[in-house]
Amino acid sequence: MGVTVLQPYPMPENKSGAHIIDYLSKRLLSLGATHAGQFLVDCETFISSPQPHNGTPGRAVHVLHNSEYPASTFSIMDSGTGKQVSLVADSIFDLLMLKMTNTFTSKKQTKIESRGARFEYGDFVIKLGSVTMMEHFKGILIEIEYKSCMILAYCWEMIREMLQGFLNINVGKDFPSYFAPQTIMTPMGQQQMHAKHNDMYEPTDTVKQYLEQFTNYRKHVSMHGGLGGQQQQPVHMSPSPVMGAAGGLGMIRP
Amino acid sequence: MDKLNCALTAVKNLRSNVRQCFEHLADGTDGEGVEESRNKFVHDFQEKFGAINSQLREVEQLINGLQVPPTAYSLGNTAYLAQETSQDRQALYPQLVNSYKWIDKVHDHSFLAFNNLNQNTLRRSYNYCSQKRPRLPFSSFNNDPDHIDKLLSEINTPPHTSYRVFRPFGSNAVAIVTISNVLKAAIVFKGVLIEWVTVKGYDEPLEQDDLWAESRYEVFRKVQEHAHSAMLHFFSPTLPDLAVKSYVTWLNSHIKLFLEPCKRCSKYIANGLPPTWRDLRTLEPFHEECRNC
Repeated sequence: MGVTVLQPYPMPENKSGAHIIDYLSKRLLSLGATHAGQFLVDCETFISSPQPHNGTPGRAVHVLHNSEYPASTFSIMDSGTGKQVSLVADSIFDLLMLKMTNTFTSKKQTKIESRGARFEYGDFVIKLGSVTMMEHFKGILIEIEYKSCMILAYCWEMIREMLQGFLNINVGKDFPSYFAPQTIMTPMGQQQMHAKHNDMYEPTDTVKQYLEQFTNYRKHVSMHGGLGGQQQQPVHMSPSPVMGAAGGLGMIRP
Repeated sequence: MDKLNCALTAVKNLRSNVRQCFEHLADGTDGEGVEESRNKFVHDFQEKFGAINSQLREVEQLINGLQVPPTAYSLGNTAYLAQETSQDRQALYPQLVNSYKWIDKVHDHSFLAFNNLNQNTLRRSYNYCSQKRPRLPFSSFNNDPDHIDKLLSEINTPPHTSYRVFRPFGSNAVAIVTISNVLKAAIVFKGVLIEWVTVKGYDEPLEQDDLWAESRYEVFRKVQEHAHSAMLHFFSPTLPDLAVKSYVTWLNSHIKLFLEPCKRCSKYIANGLPPTWRDLRTLEPFHEECRNC
């Protein structure tokens, strides 16, 4: 396990997703990468029923699975105030969520997933994912992992060079938006800027990045009215103000 | 069969006689216009020519006496050669050429390797050293255990590097070096000489009971390879303390393993690997492919 970066691929107007996946796979293979199976990351969101007597708004719990960690279920609780609580559990957690239908109801129409081919090149693992929501194609999400390094600040330039190499697009020099410095509360109650790119990387970081990207795709849908009519209550899916402001394509700067 | 043998011998004799005759002609006479030697030369030639003639007749006779054999001769495996007459379809020729080339190459390489090994200065056996300086006291491998502790603590370590020394093999020490959050290396000492180095990733286990397993990451396997060649480079049985110090300094230069681009091509990645080689003197990073060009 090492540092992983998610990079949305800007979709050209006149090309289909399959065409671009094909093009990128060919570029990877000619670079010397080898095809190493498939992968799948999916995300389902549960909403708690609002409690009118004390005015608590509905909370969202995102349940994600990553085929790279097949025995685990990742869940991220989003209180709506920008604070996230994440939990890694065994895969039996899914059954627990089914038991809690009284409190948490699944929003089936926002079930979103990214699946596709997995490539290996040296210590790099590259995944070309097509994002689909309710069987509708939404975009292309490239995941690149450098297995032998644990800290993004050390190997970001390497990952960037690799991305630019096979994607043939310009990737900004700044760290991806997920790793941008955030204000956190210290145990002493003080606010402090925290640079995430110097932290040890953990599997939950990958999952949180996926959630960030999935949230952007979902927002895109609701903005364009695709499923907007079916939303019944306000859902706070933006994990933090920083991420929300940075936006989905924050990494690609003109 | 006898007849055939006789005929073959006769042909052979004929050939050798003809050759002798031509050699005789080519040699010429020795003197300049000496009548005697000239006569002798002509006489010799005539004699030889006569012999050729008689042998030619003999060959003709023998050949005429040959009969078509009633059954085919048993020629072993070579008989199969006649089965397929088209040379292209036998595909023997390219194979022969290939094997010839290979043998040639093997010969060349073994010759070079032999030469290199003969003048190898990296021989690490103590006997070898003792032949050269028989009376030198070998402090390098017969040392008190505290010395290595002292040596490692004396090394001017950067704050990001930590050492853990333990002795699983009696008095010989093993030092586990952790360089920042980048890599771990186990240095196995024999006295003060470095015997072996294992390099692993920061998230991989490197414990006392598993010092020899290779890293699961390609980059650290490559770094270990380079670490071994550097170990041979810095090896010096006469100044062991200095050797260890310079080696550890070299190893510490890997702190920027993923951070620095190659000095020659200014790229980070070549063949899926970062610049894994550190120059032995300048400590500059290079790709394995770039370091020699």
